[in-house]
Amino acid sequence: MEAATQPREKTMKVKVKIWRYDSQTGERALKEYEIEAPEWVTLLDILDLIKDQQDGSLAYRKSCRMMICGSCGMRMDGAAVLACKTRMYDIVQAGHVPVISAMGNLPIVKDLVVDMDPFWEKFKAMKPWLQPGYEEPPEGKEYRVSQERMNVIHKEALCINCGCCVSECNAMESSPEFLGPQALAKGMRFVGDARDGATVERLEDYSTEHGIWECTRCYFCNERCPKGVDPRDAIAKLGAEAVNEGIDRDMGAKHAKWFIKSTETTGWLRETELVPKTQGVISAISQMKFAMGLAVKGKVPPPFPPHVAENVDEARGLHKLVQQQGRQGYEGIVQGERSLARLDHHLREDGEVPPSEGSVGGMGSLTSADITPGEEPTAGKAD
Amino acid sequence: MKQVAYYKGCLASLSAKELDTSTQALAPKVGLALLDLESVTCCGAGDIHEAEPDYYLHLNARILAYAEATGSDTLMTICNVCTLNLRQADFMLKGDDALRERVNTNLRAVGVPPYSGAVEVKHFLWLVADGEGFELLKASAHKGLKGIKIAPFYGCQILRPSKLLGFEDPDKPWSLERIIEACGGEVVDYPAKVKCCGFPIIQAREDTALGELIQPIEQAIEGGADAIVTPCPLCHLSLDAWQSKLNAQRKKEGVDPLQPMPIMHLAQLIGVAAGLEDSELKFRRHVVSMKPVLEKLTV
Repeated sequence: MEAATQPREKTMKVKVKIWRYDSQTGERALKEYEIEAPEWVTLLDILDLIKDQQDGSLAYRKSCRMMICGSCGMRMDGAAVLACKTRMYDIVQAGHVPVISAMGNLPIVKDLVVDMDPFWEKFKAMKPWLQPGYEEPPEGKEYRVSQERMNVIHKEALCINCGCCVSECNAMESSPEFLGPQALAKGMRFVGDARDGATVERLEDYSTEHGIWECTRCYFCNERCPKGVDPRDAIAKLGAEAVNEGIDRDMGAKHAKWFIKSTETTGWLRETELVPKTQGVISAISQMKFAMGLAVKGKVPPPFPPHVAENVDEARGLHKLVQQQGRQGYEGIVQGERSLARLDHHLREDGEVPPSEGSVGGMGSLTSADITPGEEPTAGKAD
Repeated sequence: MKQVAYYKGCLASLSAKELDTSTQALAPKVGLALLDLESVTCCGAGDIHEAEPDYYLHLNARILAYAEATGSDTLMTICNVCTLNLRQADFMLKGDDALRERVNTNLRAVGVPPYSGAVEVKHFLWLVADGEGFELLKASAHKGLKGIKIAPFYGCQILRPSKLLGFEDPDKPWSLERIIEACGGEVVDYPAKVKCCGFPIIQAREDTALGELIQPIEQAIEGGADAIVTPCPLCHLSLDAWQSKLNAQRKKEGVDPLQPMPIMHLAQLIGVAAGLEDSELKFRRHVVSMKPVLEKLTV
């Protein structure tokens, strides 16, 4: 019998092009599909419909369908997305036929399925488990972590290991051994955890050749992350914490410290001295020929007389002040996260959300309330 | 004339002086009166943000405060990294009363004028890609770039993270293309135009950086571009000065050298079309010669 009493769902014609690939034969083809689907469908729904009705050989990963398992990372028009988070309605209305392909920076097994092994290897290298270093609490008592301390790793803890950041990482594309945004954000999740007792060892481990200081700051990871983790910010937190702990042998750390010295002395970057201060004198000498080529074009400005900003003593004064105020290391970044989260939620100055704009971008279900410090717990804290 | 506080940043004061001179010469033609900032320092690049973020915030708050003190509502930047740093610090301070109060107390203690959030940080590109600035640009670009093929290169920190920058779609930007066309040039499109030039790690991880910066250069060559244009002096330095290193690497591997790809600053590109003098454009300061482009223009 016909379900005449049921209102019929509005449907639409959805077209997608999918890069098919078979790693066994090496065959590769861009295939177009067209399917009738309800207006509410996501990209993942479309793939399910295609597999069910048109081509059972299509390969992709999925599980939860609700942005929490991290299985369905793939690219739409070259940009990594979670298929289950991507609604098709606006795309169809715009008359656009998106191109779907596998994520980048990972080997493709078949169609939209990538080999995640290299991803998990790096994940494991971060020792992603707590290493307690504190004494047992007294009998019958427990340690509690304050909301304020949890806020330090709030964003990093949202990671669902989907790989969207890794897919787009420009540094990994050039240097595949780079630990990359996901692993390093995971590292920060433990470095910033009040319960972890191996902070210094971790920072040492993460400061190696392919660690913290290989990040090229392209910000693709922040842009693509479907959960608002902001891996680049997590990497900066690790860098700040490493410098704060005196783990600054890396050229990247030395480079950063020379900027601080510059702002304190002349106000402006002392560009010509940056190479020897970063790479050391010996290495700088080996760069002499290259440097001479730049010098003839005026690209190596003479350090004397120095180009000094007016009132540069104010910058020096500020540096001294902030060093006394205990917000060194990642605290300097964490203190701004609440403000920056307002941008994700389009909060106006008065805290109201304009009615026409919802949460866009990568923050999922996170609301600004999530990062508002809650009430202090009554019992002792782990920190 | 729109009065804007002019933050030139480090490179335009040092190794990329040609960016400063061409920007200064071009500004009145596109309706901008530049107010100099004498007391400001370096924004710290990504470096101080990564090493001492609390100091980064104060340093940038100080720059914003001095920009405010000029009375202008706009702080104009000419570098991607400065743009992100300053906008990020501005948003951090605007959305948090307690943090703003703390930073202002510190600024006051060392004699810096107060920060109230009265200026918006805008890159020069944004001021001339749209609105009145764009109309004036079209009118002043009378000499044109006829017959010249230009590959736009955006770099990273003028596009991403888009929630902090927000001028255009970070995956489908249009501003440079629009300007190239308004100047009478022909746009060469290529995928790497929104990718990284490698500059932030060019000293600490040179090989990784070279693997990044070769992409736009190779793709621009492939697209038949006469030159690349970029809104960022760091991208400029990376793509211009490190090309020789790409070729040194290729020589070792026995691969033919790349065809030289001239790199232009945005203000130079518009400047050529607007008929600025050689002494203002200062192309002689580039490592890769601009001569073939300029010769093509005079024909």
